[in-house]
Formats: sequence, structure tokens, C-alpha cells
Amino acid sequence: MIELFDVTKRFGSETAVDGISLRVERGELCALVGTSGCGKSTTLRMINRLIEHSAGEIHLDGQPVRNFDEQALRRRIGYVIQSTGLFPHWPVARNIGLVPRLLKWPRARIQMRVEELMSLLGLPMASFADKYPHQLSGGQAQRVGVARALAADPDILLMDEPFGALDPITRDTLQEELRDLQSRLHKTIVFVTHDMDEALRLADRLVVMDAGRIVQQGAPLDLLRDPADDFVASLLGGDDRGFKEAALTRVEERMLPLSPRLIARARVHREATLRQALAVMFREHADRLTVIDDEDMPVGELSLRRLVGARPHE
Amino acid sequence: MRRDAPRPNRVLPLLMLVALAAWLGLVAVSVAPNRIVPGTGFRAHEVVGWAGALGACLPPLAVAVLAWHPSPARLRHALVLIVLLLMALPAWLGLAATRLVDPELPQARLGLGSAFWVLLFLLLLALIELRSRLALSRLVGWVLLVPVLLAWWLALASWLEPLALLQEYRARSDQFATAVWHHLALVGAAVGASLVIGVALALLMRPHAGLQRAGFGVLNFLQTIPSLALFGLLLAPLAWLGANVEWLAALGVRGIGWAPALLALIGYSLLPMVRNTFVALEGVDPAVIESARGMGMSRRQVFLQVRLPLALPVILEGVRITTVQAIGLTAVAALIGAGGLGGFIFQGLGQAAMDLVLLGALPILVMALVADALLGALSERLHPGGAR
Amino acid sequence: MTPGLAAGLRRWGVPLVWLGLLLLASLGMAELEAVFRWLEPDSREVIYRRTEFLTLLGRHLLVVGVASLLAIVAGVGAAVLVTRPFGRDFLPLVAQFASMGQTFPPVAVLALAVPVLGFGTLPIIVALLLYGLLPIVRNSLAGLQGIDPAVHEAARGMGMSRGQVLRQVELPLAAPVILAGVRTSVTINIATAALGATVGASNLGDPIISGIVNGNTAYIVQGALLIGLLALTVDSAFERLLGWRRIRFR
Repeated sequence: MIELFDVTKRFGSETAVDGISLRVERGELCALVGTSGCGKSTTLRMINRLIEHSAGEIHLDGQPVRNFDEQALRRRIGYVIQSTGLFPHWPVARNIGLVPRLLKWPRARIQMRVEELMSLLGLPMASFADKYPHQLSGGQAQRVGVARALAADPDILLMDEPFGALDPITRDTLQEELRDLQSRLHKTIVFVTHDMDEALRLADRLVVMDAGRIVQQGAPLDLLRDPADDFVASLLGGDDRGFKEAALTRVEERMLPLSPRLIARARVHREATLRQALAVMFREHADRLTVIDDEDMPVGELSLRRLVGARPHE
Repeated sequence: MRRDAPRPNRVLPLLMLVALAAWLGLVAVSVAPNRIVPGTGFRAHEVVGWAGALGACLPPLAVAVLAWHPSPARLRHALVLIVLLLMALPAWLGLAATRLVDPELPQARLGLGSAFWVLLFLLLLALIELRSRLALSRLVGWVLLVPVLLAWWLALASWLEPLALLQEYRARSDQFATAVWHHLALVGAAVGASLVIGVALALLMRPHAGLQRAGFGVLNFLQTIPSLALFGLLLAPLAWLGANVEWLAALGVRGIGWAPALLALIGYSLLPMVRNTFVALEGVDPAVIESARGMGMSRRQVFLQVRLPLALPVILEGVRITTVQAIGLTAVAALIGAGGLGGFIFQGLGQAAMDLVLLGALPILVMALVADALLGALSERLHPGGAR
Repeated sequence: MTPGLAAGLRRWGVPLVWLGLLLLASLGMAELEAVFRWLEPDSREVIYRRTEFLTLLGRHLLVVGVASLLAIVAGVGAAVLVTRPFGRDFLPLVAQFASMGQTFPPVAVLALAVPVLGFGTLPIIVALLLYGLLPIVRNSLAGLQGIDPAVHEAARGMGMSRGQVLRQVELPLAAPVILAGVRTSVTINIATAALGATVGASNLGDPIISGIVNGNTAYIVQGALLIGLLALTVDSAFERLLGWRRIRFR
């Protein structure tokens, strides 16, 4: 659990972070979003003390971070940055084993852990262990970056725009993989990004920052439905917000049991998002869809009225 | 981004404290009755008394104090103080001369002690530090030296008669002029010739990868051989040519003299020249070349109107490196009878006459610095869009 | 021959050939008397015999080696100090001086050292040390400052101490650039040390100076040959060292 109490950071006469309070629960993925220079990276780096805060308190599992030795603190927090920061003079395996080696794990245990992580992140040991970072693609390098951060099995992971420099398709894949990993590992993750779609897709909780302050925080859906002000609304996509909301809800949450009426020809999978369902309706010129499961068996139906959540009496 | 509150500048106080220690602790000047006898050293307080010596500590201390709470205005004050101190050095030498040198002894001379050199060095470092802290341009840096040079010129012309360096110069002012002229001529000829040959070689090598490897291989090899050795190795074949080929002998080609010196200088100069020309021509953004071709410029037009102008600053950088290097190497060439300022150095070393060594070494140093500054400024000028 | 030895020989072949030639020339110069006799038919003596060539070579190497070692320690040390937080104040001055100082011709530096330090071997070492510092400082600074800030950030973020970052990340990454500076420095030092013969240090410059003074071209060629071979040996060894580092990572 990470807690920030009224934390402020000043650089000279400028205030980069202005009295923010925040609580990230154990196993939660919290995304800090905002325009560049809003203080989100500074906030992240104050947690592992790469930047020292000027006022307020930051607690890790109830302990002020200042009580920890700087290096010991960082060794128990995973850290991933946009440009990977892999050591160019070390091969992949050695890069991944960095923190365990700093922690003086026995050699065999490090070796085992590196192998485990490489298979976890889809990097076959045989073809990647001895490669140097410059021989990797952007996506592979960032996988190594994530593996390195996870090496000593930290409870907490700090990620600073980890997928910001990747092409859209690779970014998509890695986001999916991160979601997958998180559903298995349940780390406490603070994730900085300026890509709202990424944040909406990954976060359990969204924290919107502007000019060093937290403007709004909450579950992604709550923010989409009820943005605090115009800034948050425009950051969330302005009029396109509805689509983003639709993309966060699954068809099975809205579908109704099959009615005795004729079964609609157009079909959609129960795990698809409402946004995808809407697209199917548009394409098929249909206002009603049959919802199917993995075996192509109809399990329910979804009407346009139901999809957009219109009240029954309207 | 991060903006630091003004923190104490620790560099200037350190420089000034070392300067004070040198001023009070080291030999400032030495006095010798004639050229042969080694001089007697005098510390600052032995010349002007403790009151004077300690009084002179005030301006450096003021610089240190000003730098401890630096603001642009305070640093500018410190800069003025440093320039004034540099101007005071010759005046102080004049004072020492009138106090220490017996006017009855026309041969008596004033030598410069280690304190003097250390002070000069530290003050110049302070000047560099202030220039970069105040973000002054190169030009302003040189302009700052003008009053200092004026002060020196005034002092040398009027009251520094007994300065040993000046006496050495007086004794051979004609020789000195010839040596400077020879030195410059050799450097000029070597740089000029290597510029022509170097650019031609670079152009020739550009389309052929094999030629590039071979060419750079030979040039690298040449550059690796120490100058003294290369001069030496050229002696034998040239001596033979001079003895056996008449028209070459008539030109003055002999084992010893300007011929091997010039050849070796050109050989050394070729590597930086070819390398920079090559890198300059290859380094032009391919997108620019592509768009020039796309607009319908001919190959020739692309080369003359696009590639060459864009490459010029880097080529000039090569000329700068070459010139500075040649100025130093020409000094070595004096050993094989090529003339130039190196002659004074080796003559002085042979006779253990240190002021004669200085008479050779100082102008070489100045020449190198001036050539470096001038060509550096020129290359900056030629950057597209003018000086930045 | 074991494969390791074969690979080593292949890698170090060129420097070894130059080294072989150098040793051969220092030991067997007298065998070439006929050639030098032809070059210098009128002289009484055509082989420099005042001191053994091997001794001269040893002295040359000693002076260059001591000066270069000290210059490496001091130069890399200075560059490391001014790139640490506490020494950063001194960075602009040191950087500017290191690049400006390379404008000074080595001969002038050598000549200026003599009035201050006197004649003999010590002033040569000091002059070589001072001058050899500049390229090392300059390259070390370039190497240390050229490291991707992200690598630095990641290293600290992973919990490496400043010392670990310096030893395991910064110095290994800067090593190729530093090594290139050392190469420049040593190359200049070998050449400048030869000039030391004019200020009373005895080394491979001796035969050249003596040949010039006595008008004996054979002496000059012998000295020049040995200095040239020495420079080529050392330079090609550095070439291998640098090439080898370049292949491992970029």
C-alpha cells in the first residue's frame, strides 16, 4: 500500500507537485494521467526517492519512505521507464538479474529467477539470454525492462510511460500482457501515462493531475460518467467520452436473456465491449444483436436501447 | 524545469586562494647580474614588504567573496577585478625591476619566478570560468584581453627594460623576425598544400570504398609515426635525391633543411584534412541532397550549391586542427635545420638559457592559440544561419 | 596449438608483428651495418653504440609508461570527480581547459617545463603527464557525459549505490571513449618523449639528436626506425583493444 499525505515538491521557486494526497491499495493499478509537466512523473519518482519530496509524507505499508535506506527502498520497488534504461554493455540475462545480484542472491537462484521471468514475458531463453540490448526490438527491450523490474519479486511496481515509445500494435500487445500479468501477480502498480486510452484500459483507479494538483480521482467509469470539470472531460476525450465508456463495459453486463422473439441475425460475443457491439449494429444496420458464447451458442440478446442504457420509460 | 537558487561558486574562491598561496609562498622574480649566472629569487614580500604583499591580496579576496554569493552583477564586478589584476602584473614587474635591478649593471636582468607563472595561469583560468558563468561570447572574451595586452605592451615599451625575456629579444630581434616569418611560411605552405591535396584525395576516395580503406590506412600509419622519427626517416632519401638529382639540388632539396620538414608537415596534415573533408561531405543530410536532386538540380549544382556550402564549416574545422598541429610540429622541424621559432627553443636548451627557450616557446603558444581562435570563429561564422 | 591461443594470435597478430620487428631492430641493428655504411660512407662509425638500443628502448618505455599511468589515474579521476554532484561546480572550467589545452603544442609545453623543473628525466615525466592529461580528461568527460541519462536513471531506480553505478555502469560504458583518449595521449607521449633527448633525458631520441649534431644520417635513421616501430606497436595494440570493445556492444 502506498500513501501520500499532502506531498509537495519545489524546484527552486517553482512548485512541481502541490500538496497532493493519494492512497494506492495493495494489488491496485493506479494510473497517473495528465498533460506533460503536470507533475505525474515527479510524483512517481518521489515514491522511490529518485526525487526527495519537500513537504508532506509518503508511506509504504505504513512506514515513511524516509525511514528506509534509499537503496534498500529502491531494491524492493520495481521501476520501468519509457526508454528502458537497459545497460547496453550487459546481455539480456544479466540485465534482468541486476536487482537479485544487488541483493546478493545465490547465483543458482538468480539463474532460476531469470529463466522464470524470461518465459513469463515470452522471451525464449535460448535466443535472448545472450543478446545485447541494441539487438532487441523496442517491444522486446521493454519486455526485458519489465522482467528486470519484476526480478526481485517486489510488491510495488512504478512504471513511467513504459509503452510510450512503442508503435501502436506492439503497445496494444504489451498492454494486454501487462493486464494478464497483473491478474496473476497482483502487484501494487503506479503507472504514469499521458495516453488516456491506455490509462482507461489498464487502471483500477485513475488519478488526473494538472499543474501539480490532483484534479479528480476514482474508478475509470466514474470519471467518464461524471468528470469534475471541463479539463478532465476534455482529457477524457470530450464528446468521444461515450465511446470510451462503451469500451469499458462488456456486452454480458448489459445483455438480457433470450426473448421468445425471432433471434437476430447479427451476433456479438459476450465478452466483447459495448463499443464493439455498437460497431456491429452500425455495420449490420441492426438495432438488436444476439449474444453468443465461445461455442457460438446464443446466450442472450442486446438491443440498442439497452446498449445505450436508456431508461425503460423513455 | 529545475532552477537553482544561486549557490556559492566554489571554483573562483579556490583559484584565488591558490593564487594567494603562490603569491606569498613562491619566488615571484629572480635577479641575475648577467646572462650566465643563475639568478637570486625574491618572494613578493621581499620586494614590496609585507604591507604591500598583503595589500595586493585584497583584490583576489574580493573576487572570492563576490563569487561566494554569485549574482550576474557580482560576477561582472569579479570579472573587472580579474582583468585589472592581469593588467597589474606587468606594473608589478616594473616596480620589482626598479627596486631590485641595479641600473649601474647594464647586463643585469629580471627573470620571471614560478609565482608569476602560477598567478598568470590562475588568473586566466578565472577569466575562462567567469566567461562561461556569465555566458559571454568568444568575441567578448578576446576583447577582455585587449586592455591586458595594452598594459603589457606599455610596460614592455617603457619600464621593463631589464626583463630577461626582453633582453634576449633585443639581442636577436632580426633573427626573431626571420624565425617568425619562416615559421609562418612553413605552416602556411604545409597547410595550403595539404588543403589542396587533402580535398582532392577526399573527392577521389569518396566513390571507392577500397580506396577509402587503403587511403585512411596509409594516412593513419603516417600520423602514428612520431614527428622526430618521420623527420629523421625523410632525411636519408632526400639527402640522396639532393646529391643525385641536380634540379632538385638546385631547388634547395637536401637531407637537412626545409625540404624534409615541409614533406613531413604535409604528410602529417593530410590525415586531419582528408578525414574532415570526407566526413564533412558525407555528413550532409541525405534528405537535403535528395530534395535538391528532386527539384531538378544537376549533380554539379548539387555539389557546388548544396553539399559544399553545408560541408564547409567541418572542412574548416579540419584546417583549424591541421594548422594548430603544424605550428607545433614546425617547432620540432627546427632540429633538422628548417628554421623557425623552434630554433630558439633548442638553442636555448643547448645553452641552458631559459629565457631564450621562452622566446621561442611563448610565441609558438600564442600563434597556436590565435590560429585556433581565428579559424574557430571563422568556422562558426560559416555555419548556415551565421554565428550562433 | 589450442584454439584460444590461435584466436589470441589472430587478434593480436598485427601488434605482435610490430613488436617482433621492434625487438629485432633493437637487438640486431649492428647486422645492418652494410646498409648504414652505404647511407653514410664517410663516417667512422655508422652504428650508434653509446648506449644499447634495448636500454634506450627500456628508458623510453619507462618514461612514457610512468607518465601515462599517472595521467590515466589523474585524468580519469578528475573527470569522475567533476561529474559527481559535489564536484560539478568545477565541470565547465575543467572541460574548457582540457579542450583549450590541447591547442598548446607539446614541444612548447616541454620547453616551458624545463625552466620550471630543470633538466633530466623527471621534468620529462612531469611534462608528459601534464600534457597527456588533457586528451584523457577530455575523452573521459565525453564518455561519462555521453551515457544515456535513462541508463543512469534506471541504475539508480533499481537501487544501485553511487559507487556501484560508477563502477558497473558509467566506467564500463565510457571505457571505449576513455581508451581512445588514452591512445591519443600515449601516441603523443611517445613522440614528445623522443624530444626529451634535447633536455637531457636519455631515450630513443638520443641517436636522432646525436646524429643531427654530428651530421650522421645513419644514427638518425636508426633512432627514427626504432621510435617509429615503437609507436606502431603501441598504436596497433590500442587499435585491437578498441576494436574488441566495439564489437562487444554498441
